[in-house]
Amino acid sequence: MSPGQAVALVVDDSQVNRKVLARHLASLDIVAREAADGRQALEQLGADGAGFDIVLLDIEMPELDGYETLAAIKGDAALRHIPVIMISSVEELDSVVRCIEMGATDYLPKPFNPAILEARVRASLAGKHLHDLEVESAARQAELLKTIERQKDELSRFLSPQVAALVSSPEGEQLLAGHRRVATSVFCDLRDFTPFSEAAEPEDVLGVLREYHAAMGALIVEHGGTLEHFAGDGLMVFFNDPVLQEDHVERAVRMAVAMRERFDELSTAWSKHGYHLGFGVGIATGYATLGRIGFEGRYDYGMTGTAVITAARLSSAARAGQILLSPGAYAAVEDQFDVEDVGELQLKGFSRPLATVNVLGVRTTEPLKTAVEAG
Amino acid sequence: MNVDGEPVLDEAVLADLRASVGDDQEFMVELVETYVTEGTANMDSLLAAAAAQDCAAIVRPAHTLKSTSASLGAMRLSAICRAIEQAGRDARPETLREDADLAREAWEATLVAFGEAGLRA
Repeated sequence: MSPGQAVALVVDDSQVNRKVLARHLASLDIVAREAADGRQALEQLGADGAGFDIVLLDIEMPELDGYETLAAIKGDAALRHIPVIMISSVEELDSVVRCIEMGATDYLPKPFNPAILEARVRASLAGKHLHDLEVESAARQAELLKTIERQKDELSRFLSPQVAALVSSPEGEQLLAGHRRVATSVFCDLRDFTPFSEAAEPEDVLGVLREYHAAMGALIVEHGGTLEHFAGDGLMVFFNDPVLQEDHVERAVRMAVAMRERFDELSTAWSKHGYHLGFGVGIATGYATLGRIGFEGRYDYGMTGTAVITAARLSSAARAGQILLSPGAYAAVEDQFDVEDVGELQLKGFSRPLATVNVLGVRTTEPLKTAVEAG
Repeated sequence: MNVDGEPVLDEAVLADLRASVGDDQEFMVELVETYVTEGTANMDSLLAAAAAQDCAAIVRPAHTLKSTSASLGAMRLSAICRAIEQAGRDARPETLREDADLAREAWEATLVAFGEAGLRA
């Protein structure tokens, strides 16, 4: 048997009929396997009929007759797709109608006429081939979808969930190409990390970073931030892109406050090992360009603009435990957070000093004016 | 039953079959041999069922002989067996013995005819 050659199962209790049919099929380049009754036929078809493209089925047979065999084949979801051609004598035409109603594809009158045999077998095989192609195509599609899901899953390990979703979304290409919008940038890094990393064992440094990244990463996701990058002890997160967030500044500050609290817990544990680290944050908001940044082979989804530079400078200027806001960021959240004035900071690269506040925490008391109105 | 009009061996059917297998003499001889072996067993069953006037038991051998005989051009035997099969299905045992005798005569004539046609080894 050569690959691609169709295989027919000839089911007839007469060996003479089987021989004649097999011979005709051979001349059509179809391999014939034989069964002397329905039971043998079902045995040969096995659980899924694998290897068979068509069944030629006699009606009158001992053991399991043509009707019962046909009913078994068409009643089995794994065999149903195999076309069945009934073999019948002229007197059995009534039975043939019944068989077609039961799911038989066609019938073949006895004595066999090679031309009719060829036409009917070929038509049925074409139908089966189409079905096989459909099944194959569905399987390929399912495999493809699985691959895409796996890639998305893998991607989401490297990218923030929002960016991973963006990459695989229909409008992704457009957003990736670059766009301008207001966004909030958050920079954080550790104070005294350089002396710590010089003094500590590399394994300890990595251990500390792992804990720090895990804790901060969870808070970034929780607040819906888009992580642009981790770089050692530094990390940059932005808000309001690619997913729009009306409260992007508030989210950023809430995240920073939560990070500071979490950091305090971590640093208490680290200080027992003699590691003394601090945590500083800078937050700024403003128009920025967002999209794909990098070069073929390595792209990041990034944000550029004054807000990014301001946040980075504020983060550098922050002392341990400080969350410094740019004037714009503060203006957006002044009702929600308690702050202290830290005066005007002269930031590197900026021509004029910047009025800056440090966030003390989420405001728990009523705003002052409300208290006055109430009183 | 009058089957005198039916030829023992229809040369035209046989010629069609021969042509459809590409005049493969070896295959034709093998096929006739299979027919004889299978037919002998079916004739035995048919005669036994007729002797017992067993309508249910006579249907299958009559059916198979009818169809294989027709395939090979043994039209007289095929016609007799068609009548026997129908009688069996209709549960009419009265004529079974008589018809079975006709079938046996036709069977023997068929074997001779195949020999004359050079199809018996």
